[in-house]
Amino acid sequence: MKFHTVEVEGVEALGRYVLLRYPWSGAIEPGQFTMARAAGYPTTFDPFLARPFSFYDHDGETASLLFEVRGRGTQLLAGAKETIEVSRPLGKGFRVGEENGRSLLLGGGVGVAPFKFLSRRLDELGVEHDVVLGFVDEGVAGVAEDFPRAKVATMDGSLGVRGTVLDAVGDLSEYSAIYACGPNAMLAAVKKAANGIELCQLSVEERMGCGNGSCNGCVVPTKARGLVRSCIEGPVFDAEVLAW
Amino acid sequence: MVMERRKTDVGLSVELFGRRLETPLMPASGTLSKEAVEEVRGVYGAILPKTTTPLSRDGNPTPRIAETPAGMVNSIGLQNPGVDEFMKNLDDFDLGVPMFVSVAGNTVDEFRELCERVSADERVFAIEMNLSCPNVEHGGLTFCAGASSVEEVVSACRGVSGKPLSVKLTFEGVVENAIAAEASGADAITVMNTMPALTVDADARKVLVKGGFSGPAIKPVAMRAVYDVSGAVDVPVIASGGVSTGVDVAEFMMAGAAVVQIGTVSFVRDPEEILGEFEEYLRKHEMSASELIGCLRGAGSV
Ligand SMILES: Cc1cc2nc3c(=O)[nH]c(=O)nc-3n(C[C@H](O)[C@H](O)[C@H](O)COP(=O)(O)OP(=O)(O)OC[C@H]3O[C@@H](n4cnc5c(N)ncnc54)[C@H](O)[C@@H]3O)c2cc1C
Ligand SMILES: Cc1cc2nc3c(=O)[nH]c(=O)nc-3n(C[C@H](O)[C@H](O)[C@H](O)COP(=O)(O)O)c2cc1C
Ligand code: FES
Repeated sequence: MKFHTVEVEGVEALGRYVLLRYPWSGAIEPGQFTMARAAGYPTTFDPFLARPFSFYDHDGETASLLFEVRGRGTQLLAGAKETIEVSRPLGKGFRVGEENGRSLLLGGGVGVAPFKFLSRRLDELGVEHDVVLGFVDEGVAGVAEDFPRAKVATMDGSLGVRGTVLDAVGDLSEYSAIYACGPNAMLAAVKKAANGIELCQLSVEERMGCGNGSCNGCVVPTKARGLVRSCIEGPVFDAEVLAW
Repeated sequence: MVMERRKTDVGLSVELFGRRLETPLMPASGTLSKEAVEEVRGVYGAILPKTTTPLSRDGNPTPRIAETPAGMVNSIGLQNPGVDEFMKNLDDFDLGVPMFVSVAGNTVDEFRELCERVSADERVFAIEMNLSCPNVEHGGLTFCAGASSVEEVVSACRGVSGKPLSVKLTFEGVVENAIAAEASGADAITVMNTMPALTVDADARKVLVKGGFSGPAIKPVAMRAVYDVSGAVDVPVIASGGVSTGVDVAEFMMAGAAVVQIGTVSFVRDPEEILGEFEEYLRKHEMSASELIGCLRGAGSV
C-alpha cells in the first residue's frame, strides 16, 4: 500500500475527541476512510499497522479525521506535530443523490465522524436532512457544537434527550433514507427500526490489516454472499445485505 | 578529481525454472488482492494470488488479525472462492509476468486433483503447494508434520503435473521436509510460511487471535530457514518471511534465495520502495541480483 506524507494543518480537541486536519485535494466520497499513522515506515515497527479512520470532512482542499484516543496508534496521531502518513481514500461511501428524499443521519459516539461530510454533501445536493448524535454523556458531546443543526441524545441525560439516538427521533417513517454509524448494538437497533424504509445504510467497523482488500481480515457476514471484505465492499453497507 | 562513473543499469533479473524474471520479487500468497494488483505493476517478476482450495471456503470468524510489535497474527482460514471460480478470474492477476498459483487440499487426493486441474491451464507458469494446511487423514496435523507426508503429497502432485512445483513449508522440520520434497520431484522450495502464534485480549481475558505470525519480527527465523535449506537442497529456494526493506531482499538472496516474496509488509509499505532500495543496494555494491544468490556460502562472501 502506498502512503502519502501530508502536512498536519492542525490538531485540536473537540470535546474528548481529536480533530486532525491535513491537505488533500483528490476526490473523497462521504463514508470513505483512510489508513493513517503518525510516522512513516520504517521509523516505527510499533505500532506496525496503520489505523482506519472515516473522513470527518473534506472541502476539496483540506481533509479531516475525528478520532477517539484508544491505544497507541491514536495516541501518536493525537500528538502528531508536522506530518502524518495517509493512504488514498478507500472503500465505498454512502449512496446519495439528488433523488434522495428526506434523510436521517444517526451517529453514535465517535461514529458521528462521517456525518459532518455527508451532511455537507447532502446540503450541496439540496437534500433535506436531519442529524441526530448520541453520546454516553455530556463530556464526550463536545463535538456536537460542530453540528449546529443536530439533535443530541445522551445516555445519562446530561445533554439533550435522555436515551439513544433512536429515542431522540420521532417518526422514522418520515424519512426515505437513513444512514447510521456507531457501535454494533446501535447499528443493529437502527436496522431493526428502519425496517420498511427505502434506503438504510450502515457504516461498520471491523479490524483492518491493509485497507486495500489484500489481507481478508476485515470481513463482515452478508446474507447472500458469506463473509465479504468491509474495506472493499464497505465500510458502508445496505442494512439488508448484512447478516446481523 | 575524476568522478567515478556510477552503474546506471542494474542487473535486476534472475532466472527461475528456465525463465527470466525481470525482478527477483514476487508477492507472498494471501497478501495481494486483485484490487491492489495494479499498484504493483512493474515491481514483481512473477505474481502469486492467494491459495485456492477445491471448494469455496468462508474462512474463520473475526477477529482475524491482531497486531504485534513488528508484525501481526492472522487466522484468515484460507478464505477463497474455490478453484473453479478462482481459475475463472485468474486474469484479474495478469500483469504480463509469469503466474504462480498456490494450492492447498485437505487430503493427498485433493492436492493431486487441484494440481492436475491447475496444470492444465496454459496461463499458469508454476504451482506453489501450500503444505501448511491440516491433513485430515493424519488427525489434522499439517502436511509439514513429517517427511513421509511431504513425500506422499509431493509425489502425488508430481505424477500429474508437468508444471514447475514449489513446495511451501513451515519452519518446523524445514530442512528434513525440504530434502523430502526435492527427492519427490519438487522444482523449488518456498521457505517459509507463518509461525504458530497466539495473542490474548487481556481486558476480556479471552484469546484474541490464534493463528500465524508474520512480518518483520520473523525475519531472522526465516533467514535461518532459507540459509539451512539452501545448503541442503540443489533446487532453487524462494524466500518468504519478514522481508521489509530492499536490503532484506539482498540478505535473503545472499542466504540462498533465488526469488524473494513480499508479504505482510506490503500492508504498510509500497513494494515499489522495496524494489528501489534493492536496486540501490546493487548499485552501491556493483553487483547484479543473480550474483548475490547464495554468496554467504560461496566465494563471493566478504
Ligand atoms: C472503516 C473504519 C472507520 C473508522 N473510523 C473511525 C473514526 O472516524 N474515528 C475513530 O475514533 N475511530 C474510527 N475507527 C476505529 C479506529 O480505527 C480504532 O479506534 C483505532 O484503530 C484504534 O487504534 P489504537 O492504536 O488507538 O488502539 P489499539 O487498541 O491499540 O489498536 C490495536 C489494534 O486493534 C485495532 N482496533 C482497535 N480498535 C478497533 C476498532 N474499534 N475498529 C477497528 N480496529 C480496531 C487497531 O487498528 C490495531 O490494529 C474506524 C474503524 C474502521 C474499521
Ligand atoms: C493475511 C495473510 C494471509 C495469508 N494467506 C496465505 C495463503 O493463503 N497461502 C499461503 O501459502 N500463505 C499465506 N500467508 C503467508 C504468507 O504468504 C507468508 O508466507 C508469511 O506471511 C510470511 O511472510 P511475511 O512475513 O513477509 O508476511 C498469509 C499471510 C498473511 C499475513
Ligand atoms: S483490511 Fe485487509 S482485506 Fe480489508
